[in-house]
Amino acid sequence: MELLGNLVLGLSTALAWNNLLWCVVGVALGTLIGVIPGVGTLATMSLLFPITYHLEPTAALIMLSGIWYGSTYGGSTASILLNLPGTPANAVTCLDGFPMAKQGRGGVALLMTTVASFVGASVGIVLLTLFSEPIANIAFKFGPAEYFAIMVLGLVAASVVSSGSAIKGITMVVGGVLLGLVGTDVNSGVSRFDFGFPELQDGVGIVALAMGLFGITEIIASINHVKAADSKMDVSMKSMLPTRDEVKRSWGGMARGSGIGAWLGVLPGVGPTVAAYMAYAVEKRVSKKPERFGKGTIEGIMAPETANSASDMASFIPTLTLGIPGSVTMALIIGAMMIHGIQPGPQMLTEQPGMFWGLVMSFWIGNIVLVILNVPMIGMWIRVLTIPYHILYPAIVMFVCIGVYGVNNNVFDVYLVLLFGIVGYVLRVLDFEPAPLLLGYVLGPMLEENFRRAMLLSRGSFQTFIDRPISMWVLILTAVLLVWGVWSSLRQRSTVALSDASPKAA
Amino acid sequence: MRRVDYRDLLGGGLITLVGAAAMYHSLTSFTLGTSDRMGPGYFPALVGGVLALCGLAILIPALLRAGPVPRFEWRPLLWISLSTLAFALLLVPFGLIPAIIGQTILAGISDCKLSWKGSLMLAVGVAVGATLLFKMALGLIVPVFAWPW
Repeated sequence: MELLGNLVLGLSTALAWNNLLWCVVGVALGTLIGVIPGVGTLATMSLLFPITYHLEPTAALIMLSGIWYGSTYGGSTASILLNLPGTPANAVTCLDGFPMAKQGRGGVALLMTTVASFVGASVGIVLLTLFSEPIANIAFKFGPAEYFAIMVLGLVAASVVSSGSAIKGITMVVGGVLLGLVGTDVNSGVSRFDFGFPELQDGVGIVALAMGLFGITEIIASINHVKAADSKMDVSMKSMLPTRDEVKRSWGGMARGSGIGAWLGVLPGVGPTVAAYMAYAVEKRVSKKPERFGKGTIEGIMAPETANSASDMASFIPTLTLGIPGSVTMALIIGAMMIHGIQPGPQMLTEQPGMFWGLVMSFWIGNIVLVILNVPMIGMWIRVLTIPYHILYPAIVMFVCIGVYGVNNNVFDVYLVLLFGIVGYVLRVLDFEPAPLLLGYVLGPMLEENFRRAMLLSRGSFQTFIDRPISMWVLILTAVLLVWGVWSSLRQRSTVALSDASPKAA
Repeated sequence: MRRVDYRDLLGGGLITLVGAAAMYHSLTSFTLGTSDRMGPGYFPALVGGVLALCGLAILIPALLRAGPVPRFEWRPLLWISLSTLAFALLLVPFGLIPAIIGQTILAGISDCKLSWKGSLMLAVGVAVGATLLFKMALGLIVPVFAWPW
């Protein structure tokens, strides 16, 4: 069987010592930053982005992915112990996780969320393994019009579903596309929007942009708001054992959570945060005792934690098979691939089978390592929570500065990171979400290229996007999403709290 | 005075300006081409126009309702910016360690939770750690100490 051969190839790639090492580094770092509120997944991935220049592409991807799904594991720790989500995807876990910790059942919550994450991730990986090839085969039939339509769908979905106002999300996406156009135009060689800086002719550096928007901005917004924990938790193995009733109640939550997470993860633009919220809402609706939710019931942590991990894994499906990132994290993964000259998309499976299957198999290894990191070693992560933020953040600023300098050995990038940090902070205060901006930035050049190519093929007729059935349906779906998003954000507009300046712990 | 949503007014206004400027620049400085053979200006002009429209869509409703006044936390914004700036300015003329020490100390002023002594100790610690990691282990091309004169 071909699949079996691929899996063996993947396993041998993933077990090569170099890849194995970076997989462990990635998930350990992911857990670490997931545990600490105020240091986001995106910030860390951006921080480590420069290192990927020095790594083999497969190892680089394995590490970056490890940070991403590792942080979702670690993020539940802060949710449960501090009532502060380590990452936005773990925010719902606070609702029942923190009450459990207050009742002295924090150990159980920590163990069970790890189990939930593992189950969710496993479902996601199985889907990724089974469906990547069929989807890639369909994708081979796509022309530039279809690609353009799917990218527009992804961008609109990402901005509409993201927290906050839909119109602002769309604005950020469009702004990102514009930012992505900075630099030399491939077709004509004309340098666009370079403001006279030769450094900008190659485009705005993704590292400077990501580190500015997510590193510097987040630090500025977190300084006065993040507190360290002084928790003395009982985290012996014995304290972690759940009761038989709790185990029984967890199954349903995990099954529903993994289904919801996997389905939402495949859709472009819908990330683990939405998946976790949906899973919690569904769980509450189907429960016979909905009044238990919010008071420390085990289903309330199992369903969202399964869903966010399943969604983490499933979001690799559109990224790897179509080359269209569904989220900002995936945009960074694609950025890393392009740095190494690998064009993500359906041809990746045939041209780079070792890399593709190696990455998939590394997810298994990474998730097993995460279980080891999160169960026997949980005490260590709890101690990390007690490091005060005022010791951490000057060091993070240092990492940002050196990391961004190291990309081109040019101080220009440090000025750029400063500029984007300030811009990102202003946007944040004005209630714009900076994440869709990065997605637009990565997709911008691809969007232009496919748009131009589609128009060239149709001899300048805009009808091509409607004449081709796949592209038409995708665009109709996009329009529906757009109308729904704008309509629902207009409805919510009634009350706006004044305390919006506080950071969303990410 | 009539109450308006200052936050969205400011945000929408800035976005409209950026979009309009990008559109104007693309229309005037680059060749547009035709829709079947697009020049370098066609797509950016389109995107700039859409951005300006988005800005207007945020700006206009903001005039009709009351809303929160944006609150900037100037202190961390200023000191973190200065900290990054110090690093950029000091790195090439003075070298890695002075740049990191300057950067760390300035960053520490943002919340003033450390004493001068603690701040200095942290700065030296971070600088030494960073030198070992980036210079020795990762081989970053930058002098550890330099003297511009």
